[in-house]
Amino acid sequence: MSQGRPIKNVTNPDRIGSYFRLEAGPLLLVTVSGLLYNLGMLAGPYFEGQLVQRLFDIINGNKTFASMVTLALTYLAVILIVQVMRAIKRFYVRRFANNTSRNMRHMLYNSLVNMSKVELEQEDLGAVMTKAIADVDACVEGMRKFTTEIFDTGVVLVAYLGLLFFYDWRLAMLASLFTPLAYLIAGGLKTRITRYNAEYKKSAGRLNNATMDRISNAVTYRIYGREQNRDQAYEAHLQDYEQRAVLANLWENTMQPLYNIISMCGAVLVIYFGARNVQGSGWTSWDIAAFTTFLSAFTKMALKSSKAAKLFNAVQKAQVSWQRIKPLMKAYVVPNTNTTLDFSRPPQLEVTDVSLRWPGSTWSLNAISFSAAPGQIIGVTGAVAGGKSTLGKAFIGEVPYQGSIRVGDRELSELSAYERSRLIAYLGHEPELMSCSIAENIRLGKQESIAAVLETVCLDQEIAQMPQGAATSVGSGGIRLSGGQQARTALARTLYNAGPILILDDPFSAVDRRTEQAIFRNLRRLAKGKIVLLISHRLYLFPDLDRVLFLDNGSGIFSTHAALLKENNAYARLYRAQMAGGEQHD
Amino acid sequence: MTKKSSLHTVVLKTITAFRPMTVLTVITIIGAIVAALFPPLILERIVNNLTAGQPIAFLLALSYLGLLALSGLLESGQNIMITKFGQKITHGLRGEMCTKLQNLPAAYFTANEPGKITSRFVNDVDAVDAMFTNGIISMFADAFKVLSILAVIFYKSTGLGLLMLLIIPLMFALTRLFQQRMLTSQLANRVAISKVNNHVPETIRNIRMIHTLFRQQYMEQQYDAYIDESYRATDKSNLYDSIYSPIVIFFSAAIIALMMVLAAMGGSMQQFFGLSVGTAVAIIAYVGKIFEPLESIGMEIQNIQAAVAGIRRINEFLQETPSQHPDSVHTHPEPTVNAQPALCFEQVSFRYDDDTPVFSDLSFTVASGEAVTFIGRTGAGKSTIFRLALGLYHPDAGRVLINGVAAAIIPAAKKRALFGYVEQSFHLVAGTVAEQISLFDPDISRQQVETAARLVGLHESIVAFPDGYDTPGEKAAFSQGQFQLLAIARAVVAAPQILLLDEITANLDSATERRVLEALKRASQGRTVISISHRLQEYTQNHRMIEIGDHR
Repeated sequence: MSQGRPIKNVTNPDRIGSYFRLEAGPLLLVTVSGLLYNLGMLAGPYFEGQLVQRLFDIINGNKTFASMVTLALTYLAVILIVQVMRAIKRFYVRRFANNTSRNMRHMLYNSLVNMSKVELEQEDLGAVMTKAIADVDACVEGMRKFTTEIFDTGVVLVAYLGLLFFYDWRLAMLASLFTPLAYLIAGGLKTRITRYNAEYKKSAGRLNNATMDRISNAVTYRIYGREQNRDQAYEAHLQDYEQRAVLANLWENTMQPLYNIISMCGAVLVIYFGARNVQGSGWTSWDIAAFTTFLSAFTKMALKSSKAAKLFNAVQKAQVSWQRIKPLMKAYVVPNTNTTLDFSRPPQLEVTDVSLRWPGSTWSLNAISFSAAPGQIIGVTGAVAGGKSTLGKAFIGEVPYQGSIRVGDRELSELSAYERSRLIAYLGHEPELMSCSIAENIRLGKQESIAAVLETVCLDQEIAQMPQGAATSVGSGGIRLSGGQQARTALARTLYNAGPILILDDPFSAVDRRTEQAIFRNLRRLAKGKIVLLISHRLYLFPDLDRVLFLDNGSGIFSTHAALLKENNAYARLYRAQMAGGEQHD
Repeated sequence: MTKKSSLHTVVLKTITAFRPMTVLTVITIIGAIVAALFPPLILERIVNNLTAGQPIAFLLALSYLGLLALSGLLESGQNIMITKFGQKITHGLRGEMCTKLQNLPAAYFTANEPGKITSRFVNDVDAVDAMFTNGIISMFADAFKVLSILAVIFYKSTGLGLLMLLIIPLMFALTRLFQQRMLTSQLANRVAISKVNNHVPETIRNIRMIHTLFRQQYMEQQYDAYIDESYRATDKSNLYDSIYSPIVIFFSAAIIALMMVLAAMGGSMQQFFGLSVGTAVAIIAYVGKIFEPLESIGMEIQNIQAAVAGIRRINEFLQETPSQHPDSVHTHPEPTVNAQPALCFEQVSFRYDDDTPVFSDLSFTVASGEAVTFIGRTGAGKSTIFRLALGLYHPDAGRVLINGVAAAIIPAAKKRALFGYVEQSFHLVAGTVAEQISLFDPDISRQQVETAARLVGLHESIVAFPDGYDTPGEKAAFSQGQFQLLAIARAVVAAPQILLLDEITANLDSATERRVLEALKRASQGRTVISISHRLQEYTQNHRMIEIGDHR
C-alpha cells in the first residue's frame, strides 16, 4: 500500500503503551534529535551572554574586532545544528502521531467490521462515530503533545536547572522556589479542566448527533413542515456548545500566563542578587555574560515550567478520549479461512426438527423439517403466524436454532463463519448498498465479469442507458437508484457471490410483477446445480417451484404446490386470494 | 434569497451583533501588544546601570516583574476574548448553514451523502473556528507586535531597523511559499477525511451484507486506503510545518550575530549601528520577540490553510442554488377547498436533472375523499408523483395542484394538516418515542400522540417500555412491523386530509402485515387516500387504479 510504511496491526490494542512500542523507530529519532536539540537550547542564552560580554570588552578596548567575528560565527554554526535537530524532532513526532492515528483507526475499524449486527444495534450509531473518529484525533494529539513535552519541557527543565546551579546554586535555589508553586496550582486545577473538558466533549457529541439527524432526516422534516422547529432545536444545541466550549477553553488556555507570572517572581530575585554578584557584593563573582545568561536561562525555564501545565492538560484530554476508545479496541481479528470442506461438490440440505425463537420473543417455529437437493428451488411462505424471515436468518447465524440443519455432511452451527459464507448466500430486505458504483457494489473487490448477473436481474439494459454505465455511483445507501434498481443490484451482488445455497428473503418486493417473472426465469437458468430457498409472501411464482415449505401456526408443511393446493385449506385460500387480487396489476 | 450569504457576511453579522465584545477584544489585543514592549526596556536600564557600576534598586527589579505580570495577564485576556469571538462566529456560521438546509431543493439530499454534508457542518466549521481562534485574529495581533517591535528597534538603532526591514519581506516570501505548498496537501487531506468519515456509518448500516458475503477484509482494505490517502497528505504538510519554524529561528540568530559584528566594528559604522551594552541586551530580547510572532504566524498559516479548503466548501454550500418555485409565477387564486379536487396533475412533465423524462404530459385528478392506487412498472415514476405532490420537486411543465393550490407554494405550517405520508421505510429521528410520532410539534398534545398510537395498535407496546413514550427512540426495541405502524401513527397524528402511502419495503410476517393493514384501514377513514402498492392487495382492492408509464 503506502511505500514502506504499511499500516500495522497492534497487539494488545487496548493498552496505550502498545502504540508507543509500535513506533519505536520514529520515537528513537525523536529521542536522539530531541535530546540534542534541547541540550543545544542552552547554547542560545550562553552565546548571547558571551556576545554581550565581548561587545562590552571591545568597547572598553580589551578585545579585538576579529574575536567578535569568530564568536558570532561559532554561535551561528551551533544554532544551525540545533535547529536541524529541531526540524528532525518536529517531523518525526508528527510522523509518530500520524502513524498512531492510522493504526488506531485501523484497529477500531477492524473491531467494528467484525461486530455482529446484533452487537451493533445495541450501540448508538452517532456515538460510535464520534468515538471512532473524533476521539482518535484528540487522543493522538494528546500523545503527540506528551511526547513533545517530555523533551521540550522535561529535558530542557533539567538542563536549564543544571546551568543555573552551575552559575550560582544559592540564587538558583531561591529563584526556583516559585516554580513548584506553579506546579501545585496546575495540579489543583487539573480536575476542573478535565471536568469542563468532558462536558464540552459531551456537548460536542450531542451537537454532532443533532447535525446528523437534521441532515439525514431533512426530507422527512420537510414533508411534515417541521424544518423551522428543528432549526430552533439545533440553535439550542449550538448555544449549549458555545457556552461549554468557551468555558473549557477558558480554563485550559488562560491559566498558562498565570503560572508564568508565578514562576517569574523569581526573576526579581535574580536581578537583585545577580546585580550584587556582578558588583562583587553577592554570593559569587559574576561578569556581565554570567548575569545575562543566568537571567535569560531563568526566563526560558520559567516559561517552560508554565508549559508543564499544558503537558498535564494534553495528557488529561488524551485520557478522556482514550477511555472512550479503549473498550472498542479489541485484538486484531484476521478472518479465519481455514477449511477442510470440498466446495466443488454441491451439498444437500437437510433440515430436521428445527425450532426457532427470537431472543426475547415468545413467538417460535417448531419442528420444521425439509430437505433440498442441488438444482431445486424451494418456496417458503406462511399464512397467519409467519416466521419466514426468522427461518432465513437461522441460516446466517442470526437466530439460534434447536434441532439439526445439515449442509452436506456438516452441521450448520458447527461451520465457521467463513465456511457458512462460502456455502450460503443470503439476501434480506435491505439492499445494503455501499456508496460506490454499481459495478463495485456487485464485485466488492472481486474481478470477474458482472455482465451475466446484470442480465439475470434484468438490469443490463437500464445500466446501458446510464451515461456512466455500471460505473454509475449509487449514492449513499443506493439513494440515486430507484427502489427496484436497488433491490436488483443487491440481488445481482448476491448471485455474483453465490455459493451452492441461496437464501432469498423476498427479493422482489420492490420489483413489479413482469420484471419479477423475467428474473425468476433467468434465476432458474443461473441457479442450475444450486439450492434456492425463495422466501416470499407472494405466491404466483410458487406453481413453478420444486417444493414448498408452508409455515402455518408455528409448524411447517413440506410438500409441492400442487399437493398443498389440494390438501391444505389455509394454503389454498391464501393462494386463491392473491390470484384474484393480484390480477388487476398487470 | 436576494443576497447570497457566505462566511464573509456571517462574520460581518457577528461583529455588528456583538459590537461591545468586538471592541473589548480589540482593546485587550492592543493592550497585550503594548505591554509586551516594556520589559526589555527595563532590562536595558538594568544592564546599563550594571556596566556603569551602579547598584540595582529593588524597585527596578520589581517593576520588571510588574510589567511582565501585566503583559501576561493581558495576553490571558486576549486568549479569552479570541476564544469567545471565534465561538460566536462558528455559532453564527452553523446557524446560517442550518437555515440554508430549508432552502435547498430535495434533490440536494439525494445527490449528497448525509455524512458528507455533516462533515461540512462539523469538520469544516471546526477548521474555521481554529482559523479564527488560532489563526486570523492572533495573526493580526502578531503582525502588530512585529510592527511595534520594529518601531522600537528603529528608535534604538537605525541601521538595525533598516536591516530588519530587508529581512522581513524575505521571511514573508518564504512564508508564502510554505502556504502554497501546504494548501495542496490540506485540500487532499480534507477530501480523504470525509471519505473516512462516511465509511464508518456505511459499514454499520451494511454489516449484515458484509458478514454474509464475508467481505470484512475488503471493507478494511477500502477503509485503510482512505486513511492512507489522508496519511500521505498529512505527512507532506507535516514536513513543511516541521522545517518552517527552525528556518525562522536560524534567521533570528543570524541577525543577532550580524548585529553584534556590526556593533563591534567601530568607526563610521559605530554611528549607524552603535549600541550600548544594555541596548544590545534589549535588542537581543526584541529580535527574539520579533521572530516569535513571525513563528506564530507560521503556525497560524497552517490553521488558516486548513480552513481555506473548509471555507471554500462552506461557501459552496451556502451559495448552493436554492429550490426554485416556478409555480409561484402563475399562482392560482385562493383555493375554495371542497370544490377543488384533492390532487390534480395538469399536463405534467418531469425529469431528474439531465436524465430521460420520467413522464411527459401526465394528467389525472383525485377527487376529495377518493381512494386511488398507482400501478406501473418499476421506474415508471410512481414515487415521483408523490415527490411532486409533496412539493419536494417541481414539474418542468404543467401544474401539480393540491386542493387547487400549486404544491410548491403550500406553506410549511399547513403541510401537516394537509398530508400524512407513510414513507417506504421508517426514518428514526433523534428523539423520544412520542417525538417519533409528533416530530417535535408542540401543537400536538400527548393525548393526540397516544390516540395515534392506539389507532395503529402500538400503545400497549410503547407503555411497556421502561420510560413509556419518553423512551429514547434508538433505545426502543421496535420490530420492523412496529416501525411501519409508527410511520402510520406519524402520518395521521395531525389528522391530515390526504394520506399518501408509499410501497412498504419492509418484509412483514403475515400477522404483522395484517396489523399494518388494519391500521391503514382505520387511518384511511374519512380521508383522501393515494397509494403505491404491490403488496397489500387486500387493502387496495376497492381503490381506483391509475396506471403510470406503460406508453414508454
